[in-house]
Amino acid sequence: MSFFNTDLTRRHLLRVGAVSTAVSVSGWFGKLAQAAATGSSTKPKRSCILLWMNGGPATIDLWDRKLDHENGGPYKEIATSAPGLRIGEHLPTIAKFGDRLAVLRGMSTKEGDHGRGAYLMRTGVSPSAAGIQYPSVGALVSKELGDPLAEFPNFVSIAAQRFFGLEAYGPGFLGPQHAPLVVGDNQFGGNNNAGNVDQLLKVQDLDRPKAIDEASAAARIDLLRDMQEEFAAGHPGAVSKSHAAAYDRAIRLMQSAGGKVFDLSDEKAAVRDRYGRNLFGQGCLLARRLVEKGVTFVEVTLGNWDTHNNNFDQVKTLCGTLDAAWGALMGDLKDRGLLDTTTIIWMGEFGRTPKINPQKGRDHFATAWSTVIAGGGVKGGQAVGKTSKDGMEVTDRPTSSADFLATVCKVVGIDPEKQNMSNVGRPIPIADRGAHPVTEVVA
Amino acid sequence: MSARLWLGAALALVVAPGAGRAADPDPADTLAAVIDQQLAADWAARGITPAAPADDAEFVRRVYLDVIGRAPKVAEVRAFLEDADPKKRAKLVERLLTLPSHAAHFAAVTRAAWLPQTVTNQQFAGFGFQLEGWLRTQFRDNTPADAVVRKLLTVPFRVNAVGNMNMRFAQADGTDPDAFALVGFYQANESRPENLGAAVSRLFVGVKLECAQCHDHPFAPYSREQFWEFAAFFADLNPLPNTRPSDTSPKGPQAEINRLTIPNTEKTAVAKFFDGTDPKWAVDRTPRRELADWLTRPDNPYFANNLANRMWAHFFGVGIVDPVDEPGDNNPPSHPQLLDALGKAFAAGKFDNRLLVRAITRTRAYQSTSRLTHPTQADSKRFARMNVKGLTPAQLFDSLVVATGHREPGVMKTNTFPGFVQPGNPRSLFLNRFATSEKTTEKNTTILQALMLMNGAFVDGQTGADRSEILGAVVDVPGWETSQRVEALFLTALARRPTPEELEKFSSYVDRGGATGDKKKALGDVFWVLLNGPEFLFNH
Repeated sequence: MSFFNTDLTRRHLLRVGAVSTAVSVSGWFGKLAQAAATGSSTKPKRSCILLWMNGGPATIDLWDRKLDHENGGPYKEIATSAPGLRIGEHLPTIAKFGDRLAVLRGMSTKEGDHGRGAYLMRTGVSPSAAGIQYPSVGALVSKELGDPLAEFPNFVSIAAQRFFGLEAYGPGFLGPQHAPLVVGDNQFGGNNNAGNVDQLLKVQDLDRPKAIDEASAAARIDLLRDMQEEFAAGHPGAVSKSHAAAYDRAIRLMQSAGGKVFDLSDEKAAVRDRYGRNLFGQGCLLARRLVEKGVTFVEVTLGNWDTHNNNFDQVKTLCGTLDAAWGALMGDLKDRGLLDTTTIIWMGEFGRTPKINPQKGRDHFATAWSTVIAGGGVKGGQAVGKTSKDGMEVTDRPTSSADFLATVCKVVGIDPEKQNMSNVGRPIPIADRGAHPVTEVVA
Repeated sequence: MSARLWLGAALALVVAPGAGRAADPDPADTLAAVIDQQLAADWAARGITPAAPADDAEFVRRVYLDVIGRAPKVAEVRAFLEDADPKKRAKLVERLLTLPSHAAHFAAVTRAAWLPQTVTNQQFAGFGFQLEGWLRTQFRDNTPADAVVRKLLTVPFRVNAVGNMNMRFAQADGTDPDAFALVGFYQANESRPENLGAAVSRLFVGVKLECAQCHDHPFAPYSREQFWEFAAFFADLNPLPNTRPSDTSPKGPQAEINRLTIPNTEKTAVAKFFDGTDPKWAVDRTPRRELADWLTRPDNPYFANNLANRMWAHFFGVGIVDPVDEPGDNNPPSHPQLLDALGKAFAAGKFDNRLLVRAITRTRAYQSTSRLTHPTQADSKRFARMNVKGLTPAQLFDSLVVATGHREPGVMKTNTFPGFVQPGNPRSLFLNRFATSEKTTEKNTTILQALMLMNGAFVDGQTGADRSEILGAVVDVPGWETSQRVEALFLTALARRPTPEELEKFSSYVDRGGATGDKKKALGDVFWVLLNGPEFLFNH
């Protein structure tokens, strides 16, 4: 069903093609974009889903259990489908996909503050007053792997919590054409099961105003096109092109079946239940739907991991939300044959102290912690890196945030040393020079 | 008109006032003539055909946006278009400079440039507001730029470090009423010497030293040591060894607060000016005062040129050095003599910001059309036509308010923070959706921005005749021809009258009632089209 008559649609599709191509080759990083655009048609379609654990998850309780030490806390460990890989007891569904998971137990990063840690893990670089606006991993990956002519935005961010650092979520110097389409942002928590979850996950302002019928909307757009073309003819350049391109993509999203993807009501109740009836669960379901449509990068945020008090009860609850949603996602991707082309990243801004504080909590800890990378391009069924018996330090394969970003690049098939032109007029590689990707996990 | 003829006319204007009486020529006219001459020489040398002068309508919208941060109201447009005074453009700038919105706009722009982290990071937003309020007073009073920077760099504070050394709070010490606002600058830089050193060298020297924070600068001859020597001017932010952080007793000679240990080394960096000279340390002069005095000396070309260049970039979207804080061999000025002339005039004019505003807005380049009329005008760094600039979120919303007649409750205007969306507050929604830190000439539009303008509740309400102040009035005026109603919508949205073709096209659209046969709705459609178009959404 279309908001506009078919003639108009066809005409606009043609225009969309023309305008978007022009944008992709004429920006201030013209040649780079051109190369990316040319490359995208020959590569097999790859996707990436980032499960972002906002607040800093207690990875010692999930992925790197210390059963013989007081720092380990009360929880047990369970086997996974991969011999030798054992994880925390509250992730039973995920454990079934152990053969597809690689746990990086040697994470050792530099920032223990939420804002700075999030920026570091999401861009691979610590924030500085330098004025260089580093892009987040979603922008980097979607720029390389996404199709600028695609029906959908190449980067969608679900339930982001951006209070303490909008820039950690943004496209940085890659420019707003690589910004995420954000749905359900700035909700506290992600494990809430408020009744308005379906509403939150829709694209804001996607529906045309109620008082405007289809014919009027079409007439408006037609008149607007003329004004855009007139302006662009006299004022050629990046600003007017970007305006036209954004309107084209917005209109395509409105009028195509595109908007329907964000409407979860056509999923079976049993499927929706399996993911969990909460923002994160339904967000993961939406992520699966977007990947099915070929969206390159989707991130879904689960918050409330900042467990300074009462860590263990909170972790158990959070794991319930996480396990159901991620487990359902893995299963669905596998059933659809998408798990081989979809990489799933699990991480937060840092881990938490092995030592348990008097409030039965764990505090911020960046020195030794874990992340997980799973699915497409990943050699699963293993843990790489080790921490000491008390969990306080990394004893094998220390992995920095830049190393991790480079690993993600290798797994999804991007050259981590590829350079993008930055806002300060010099090229900057995707992952910092000198980063060592954890090649053991690259399939 | 050829460049030479135009220059002749400009010079004649400069000479005219002085001819009849003994008074010196207006220094802004003198500077404008220098700018015109330098640019004209550059165009001639490169075979560039500069664009034609902008007409009054194009000029009036541009100058309102640049000087007071919003597009003009219909009445203001009409008054300007009908004014027969040949000096009305300069006269308008004079009037705009007296408006509170000028101080507010310049304060907002300066805050975003000085503390970009407060635009995008909720954690720092409050500090930005603190500083912006103070800046507003300075722009209102037209405090000279050197005095503003001196005050900023010498503000007294004390530093409290809480918990560990990484969490620091620069707090006003109560001896200076301005300090409560000014410490925001330090707080937003996390009260760390290295952050302050990086920010101050970038902002007021115009040299980006911070890459040298970790390693020698890859493209410019700045060493890591130089960075830390500059940062050492802010060493008083470091808690002193063996003293309680809140200890405010006299620190004695500057030996304890003018040096830092370079991280991961044994080396100590002692504060040193960027040109390699040393302060003459004295007991009664703090390192920050030494730095402020050196920086704002009239013969310090870094400071005057850099600030003049920033003002230039504000009006043209592109600096003579661009990016504005990356000078060096890899980024030479596009017009070196012009930059020096601007810096010298700025210093000689006692760092009067308004001298630059007056001079720049009187130049041929500023008063050129943004319409490309010859291929040689394409390079934005040659200023042969006005560059198209994106609007700041506040410029956009304030222009929407003016265009639609939206009555905004004061509390909604003042009570907005980036990062936190207030669902019932349209300003908050726009500021968040349009938040950006990109260059104005590289303004990108996002899908969500387009959707908000097309379908969002605010524009929907303002393009419905029953809810919109201005559209309602345009629809209801008795006795008007359709063409008069269309013209009124053009004036309120675009600050210009429609061309005959546009008038014909839109009037006939309205007369046939658009797509629904309803003339009122069709006028709403026209208004919607104008507000969604690039001519409204950009400064051109």
